[in-house]
Amino acid sequence: MSHWGRAAGAGVLMTAGLAAQILNPATLLQPTPDTWPMYNGDYSGRRFSKLEKVNAANIDSLSLAWVFRIGAGESGGAIKATPVLLDGVLYFTIPDHVWAIDARDGREVWNYTWESKGGIHIGNRGVAVYGNWLYFETPDCNLVSLNLKDGKERWHAPICDLDQFYFGSIAPLVIKNHIITGVSGDDLDIPGYIESHDPETGALQWRWYTHPDPGDAEAKTWPSVDAMMHGGGMTWGPSTYDPELNLLYFGTGNPQPVIAGKARQGDNLYTESIVALNPDTGKLAWYFQPSPHDTHDWDAIEVPMLIDGDVDGKPRKLLAQASRNGYFFVLDRTNGKNIVSTKFANANWAKGLDAKGQPIPDPAKMPQPDGALVSPNQSGAANWPPPSFSPQTGLFYINASDAWSIYYIYDDNEKPEGWAGNDRGGHSQSSLEAIDYRTGKIVWSHKWEGAGSRAGVLSTAGNLVFTGDAANNFVALEATGGEPLWHANLGSSVTNGPMTYELDGTQYVVVGAGDTLWGFAMVRKQ
Amino acid sequence: MRKTVWLILGIGAAALNGSAQALPEGPGKATYQRACGACHSANMVLGRGMSRDQWGTVVTDMIAKGAKIKDADLPVIVDYLAKSFPPGAAPASTPGRRRAGGGFGLTMGPNDRQVVDPAAEARGRTVYIAECLTCHGSKARGSRDDAPESSRGPDLVRSLVVLHDRYGNTIGPFLAKGHPMQSGKPSASLTEPQIKDLSHFLHAMVDETLRSGPYRQPINVLTGDAKAGQEFFEGAGRCGSCHSPTGDLAHIAGKYDPVSLQQKLVFPRTFSLGRGGRAASSQPVMVTVTPPTGAAVTGTLAHLDDFNVALRDSTGAYRSWKRTAELKVEKKDPYAAHVELLDVYSDKNIHDLLAYLETMK
Repeated sequence: MSHWGRAAGAGVLMTAGLAAQILNPATLLQPTPDTWPMYNGDYSGRRFSKLEKVNAANIDSLSLAWVFRIGAGESGGAIKATPVLLDGVLYFTIPDHVWAIDARDGREVWNYTWESKGGIHIGNRGVAVYGNWLYFETPDCNLVSLNLKDGKERWHAPICDLDQFYFGSIAPLVIKNHIITGVSGDDLDIPGYIESHDPETGALQWRWYTHPDPGDAEAKTWPSVDAMMHGGGMTWGPSTYDPELNLLYFGTGNPQPVIAGKARQGDNLYTESIVALNPDTGKLAWYFQPSPHDTHDWDAIEVPMLIDGDVDGKPRKLLAQASRNGYFFVLDRTNGKNIVSTKFANANWAKGLDAKGQPIPDPAKMPQPDGALVSPNQSGAANWPPPSFSPQTGLFYINASDAWSIYYIYDDNEKPEGWAGNDRGGHSQSSLEAIDYRTGKIVWSHKWEGAGSRAGVLSTAGNLVFTGDAANNFVALEATGGEPLWHANLGSSVTNGPMTYELDGTQYVVVGAGDTLWGFAMVRKQ
Repeated sequence: MRKTVWLILGIGAAALNGSAQALPEGPGKATYQRACGACHSANMVLGRGMSRDQWGTVVTDMIAKGAKIKDADLPVIVDYLAKSFPPGAAPASTPGRRRAGGGFGLTMGPNDRQVVDPAAEARGRTVYIAECLTCHGSKARGSRDDAPESSRGPDLVRSLVVLHDRYGNTIGPFLAKGHPMQSGKPSASLTEPQIKDLSHFLHAMVDETLRSGPYRQPINVLTGDAKAGQEFFEGAGRCGSCHSPTGDLAHIAGKYDPVSLQQKLVFPRTFSLGRGGRAASSQPVMVTVTPPTGAAVTGTLAHLDDFNVALRDSTGAYRSWKRTAELKVEKKDPYAAHVELLDVYSDKNIHDLLAYLETMK
């Protein structure tokens, strides 16, 4: 279903754009420690920093440097964005709002407000930057470009149809002269897709639907073309990119109807899949499906993290995902072939693994009119908050939940649509886990007191892992063994992925909790 | 700090402030804001209207998904929501949300969504039954796959003509072009009021499909075998070691509706509202703290993380300690046996247990 859109004139405008460039997209390939130029920090999605000024030996000196409250107060809007840092300025969002603040002291440089026409305001993951320009998505289906310098709008371009209940939430990704955008929304039975836009004009370069073309072999994973064309699979997770292979990686969301699967028998490709595309053409390279025929809303949109490591003594290009359904997958990212499939949290819904390493769903654990006790719950064993991988320790760090809930079918009409069911109630216990990427074995697990740690993770060369616990604390743990070393009670749980950078010789660690962004550093005056 | 931010924000502040002011005053507002406001905007609840039981379900669901709401705050929050947003409530400030009538926490779609007028919807249903039903089905979800060629029609809930429509402004022109109708009359003969009524009916069918629609309740959970439930209760489930059918469980089926009772049975910690919306709070977790010197203190757990522990002792006094290797902390969860069962019992066991509990009217 991929097709080329209006791309004419992009080359000419590109050249004009390069003249006064703050960020050349080529620099995204080698980010320096005084920047954090994209949502995940770099294309790999590892969220590992080589900075070590703040380390396991001196972490007790880390203290508050600044606080920035977005002031949304009771109108809410938790900071789920990871700020992007360029030239000493942090750029971040909540739905319909963008702020530029000084990365040294948290003072506002400018802010921008988008006048909304609707859409779900559940969260916004942040911005992308290219040249002099910033890009973000709005809940009412627009890609907006602002001037980095003053936050003035340059243009906006449609990315979806609000009337079909799509909405925008992700941080776009810049690859060469492509702005990659994804879409959210699973209230009606609509198809998912991912797009590439021209950075100068916003014009569509290509769109790839998350379903096969009628007639493809994969189309047989749907009972009908109609079910397939209304089969969901939103693209609301962050993408990663391998410049050598020139492949863009992302995960797709749940099929539609969400809970009632009876009108969409089959695996339902390419929903719940990890997908590799050529970012220049939108052409599919390979796919792997973590949740064939999902009926639990377990979007496979968690970070598809790129790890360069050894498997059985051989260097390999790998991709790892701790998926919402409770399974940890490691793939060969050149071809999508499975290397590891293990459970990293409690999961009772699969009968085993198929020949491709994909879990086989157990029909008894699909939602039932009288209820089926399922683990994990709808929130999942993991969710969108980003994990981290440290090449120093070889460990993949993820906040994981052992969780249970009861899934019900609510609509037993012959043609259920939309959700047609849901889960209720539940019990959940969360832990920070450190997983050996080569085997999927949990090397250490730090159990938090209680449920609900949904914080993202940052690891650093200072032998540290930063994340949030289940009790509003921002916590630093020792990376090799998992001992908690330092904490600060932020008054709200950590709601984004922490990030770090060094400016003028000082290393900062920045984290969002509710409506507040916190900057920590060793701030003694020199 | 906040005032300064408002000034700097300008237009943004006005927009944010606008929704802030819209949250109604009432007992429990501050508790609601503290517990829910960090993640949810006022838009999440504005324009919703649900019963206390339904709000209870929403809030306990959020607890299960990680919301940090204290047992004591649960009924306060549910009361605030139930009083502020009863069934049918819809503030004028959010016209597009009126139909939501019991949403499930998310405000979706365009702000200018059609507000369905129930009287017009009823009239529109009559037009629909007379002219459209044969091909488009009773719920406007299209004909059955096995329908004869002559009466096949597409799904109108998924139709862009319908989804882009407001009060007939795309449906009208579409029908004016000519479209087969059941009566054989030309579709252009439909009057403007009939088209508007039809539009209300079709938007109602779209709304029904959304998460805010009527399909938000389990249909029937009483499918188990009471006798097998009793066997599990007395045998493998070891339920009798804490509970008694004639003691604490006497008349339990009168206190909770079947779905709530099923939830309470499996997840006693997160589900704590009774039939009719009475608060039935969970039992607290107990903790015993033993300092390196001095006597052990036992009380109800107030807070516990890797760094600190706090409790209320038998006199109600609040006490807290920094956690060290020398400080012993022992937690006792009265529901630990329920948690252990999660990996033990089958769905059949749960349905059977519920059937058994239902005998305790």
